[in-house]
Amino acid sequence: MASGADRTAGMGLVLFSLLLFSYYTVWVIVLPFVDADHVLHRYFLPREFSVILPGVAGVVLLLCIGLPSNQTAFTAVVLLKNHKPKKMD
Amino acid sequence: MHHKFDVNILRRAEVAFERRSFIKKNPSGAFSTMTKLMQWLFGVSLLATAWAVVTFDLFGLSFPPEYREVAWPMPVYLLVSFGCFSLATVGYRVATFNDCDEAARELQDQIKEAKEDLRKKGLKL
Repeated sequence: MASGADRTAGMGLVLFSLLLFSYYTVWVIVLPFVDADHVLHRYFLPREFSVILPGVAGVVLLLCIGLPSNQTAFTAVVLLKNHKPKKMD
Repeated sequence: MHHKFDVNILRRAEVAFERRSFIKKNPSGAFSTMTKLMQWLFGVSLLATAWAVVTFDLFGLSFPPEYREVAWPMPVYLLVSFGCFSLATVGYRVATFNDCDEAARELQDQIKEAKEDLRKKGLKL
């Protein structure tokens, strides 16, 4: 079996994704069928945020993943361009 | 008697197998001659048009407002649920990963042994 720390981290991730999924499912699918004056609506943001928040999070994630690798790719391209003429001589 | 029975079964299985492989070599119909990518794109575009019809009310059939409220975030919802599923799968695989502690220790000992052996024989590590 995996080590204790690995198991807690893994199970924590599973639990987090389950919670996120259920909250988001209730927000998107259940809430429109619930009366407007029900107390449940207090725990959820207005409906537009159910599309805006994942969009913003996705963009932020792409920037975080892309930015360091974009920088290294850019420097690699610049270095390559400077070396090519020397090799062709 | 028993031997003849087996041979007949084998013969019939062979004929059935030949027939089935013949059918597989000659597909009929547009869907089976399409590549997987085209099939996938076809399915996705069908779902996309169904979503667009409900969300933007393209055919003028006024759906009940609750169903329209559920339909319009659907693409984002599917993306988020796929992300959650991937996260859960990764977490589950991390938690149930099969560490072999004894094998790891054995391997380390063998590496040490090999290094010493090579050092004795003159290889500078």
